[in-house]
Amino acid sequence: MGNASILELNVDSSLEVYYGETFGSEDLKLLEVDEPILQEILDRGASGEELDTKSETGGKRTASAMAAATGHLELVEVAPNFEKLKSLLSERLYGEDTDSMDVEESTSGLYTWDDLLEKLQLSEKELQEGLKSLAAVQVGGFWRLVDKKYMHCVFELILLNAMQHDWSLQGLKEKEVVSALMADGYSAQIVIHCLATYGQRVSLAFEAGIASNGSYDLDSHVWELNERHVCLHYANQLLSSASRWRVDDFVDAWQQNLPSGVQASLDMLKGKILIEKLGSDSWLYPFSVANLPSNPAERFAALFRERPRWEWEDLEPYISDLRAPGKSVDALLLKYTRRTQPTAETPPIFTAR
Amino acid sequence: SECREWALLELQGVLEIQPSAQHLPLNAFSIGSLCRSQQEKYYFTIGYHELEGKKVSLKKPMLVLQKVLREDPIDVESSPVVLSTQYPTQVQKTSELKAIGIIRHKILFKTRPKALISK
Repeated sequence: MGNASILELNVDSSLEVYYGETFGSEDLKLLEVDEPILQEILDRGASGEELDTKSETGGKRTASAMAAATGHLELVEVAPNFEKLKSLLSERLYGEDTDSMDVEESTSGLYTWDDLLEKLQLSEKELQEGLKSLAAVQVGGFWRLVDKKYMHCVFELILLNAMQHDWSLQGLKEKEVVSALMADGYSAQIVIHCLATYGQRVSLAFEAGIASNGSYDLDSHVWELNERHVCLHYANQLLSSASRWRVDDFVDAWQQNLPSGVQASLDMLKGKILIEKLGSDSWLYPFSVANLPSNPAERFAALFRERPRWEWEDLEPYISDLRAPGKSVDALLLKYTRRTQPTAETPPIFTAR
Repeated sequence: SECREWALLELQGVLEIQPSAQHLPLNAFSIGSLCRSQQEKYYFTIGYHELEGKKVSLKKPMLVLQKVLREDPIDVESSPVVLSTQYPTQVQKTSELKAIGIIRHKILFKTRPKALISK
């Protein structure tokens, strides 16, 4: 009822209630909202089926979706979906061919920050989070995903050069790394993106800053490669060279390939490999959480297809990334698994429900 | 954008129009009389029934949304493919939900109606 006089009706008075002039012809829906986001929605309309809130309230809540039920809508929280972002950016991957081209010929399939905001139902913070999680890089104003093989290639070269020139992986000088790779035809932006993806900038090291003539070189950025990424890089090479490995053989080969000073541990491969005992031997094979469905029901189905029974320690890395609105990991376990514990001393086992 | 507060009357039942009045437009007659007898107490008289209700605050406010169909001209310059027709501009149809009201309270009628006809 659009008439304010019902609200203003005084005690001991009455009024007649009528159907409005436009009653029945308007397409109206009622939506229950939380007070905090009410004001935001009032300031803007919403298009289509999704409401987009630009700010975040309380950490995890992000985009919202509406479910219609005979005119009454409920605001339901959904976890942000980066699948669409990933597929847009995958239209034109930045790879081997791109780097050697100076100018992109056409801009179709290339997206700027503004393009992405417009096409996706994500807030600015979420878009930032999504780009970061996909390790996207901005080149020439467009956000790009770099071909994985290409990234590994560049990383491998950086590591090779480091070993050749005896550079410390904790103190790589950006200038040196970039010029070495540019000599092989790689662009500076991609090299720096690689350093940023697999490591982090460290504060200016004293030795790096002072040139031989004593002057302070302010342009000298220094990078430290993340040990885990270095280990994973070599682990991935071994895993793609054979479908399964005897664990001991794998650990030996792995350690041998690593630059000196870097220590590998099987723990680093949680969520990427599974270990199976066959007789007296332990064998490992690739099984990556990144290749599994992100929807909880489908994820658990895939996990139980792989193995009917899981110990918590093995299961945890394959479900810790699951996001379902308002559902904790325990709630998901309760919904999709059956937990048994034969004795108090043995660890609990999870099977399909 | 202006978004006024709307009133909400919640009834349990169905409003029916008498056969003798069905040919008339909906707003030709009133639905009933609403009377506020006390601060939070209301009476709603529909036909010969009297409903007693009370004003309560909604746990969560509700927005009244209206679906609006928009037609925006497409900027022909920016699209890679242009459909050649006799019309000068291409339009893009989008649907939007516009917030046209907020509801924070309702007057809830859930007790059995009292018949006002005397024998």
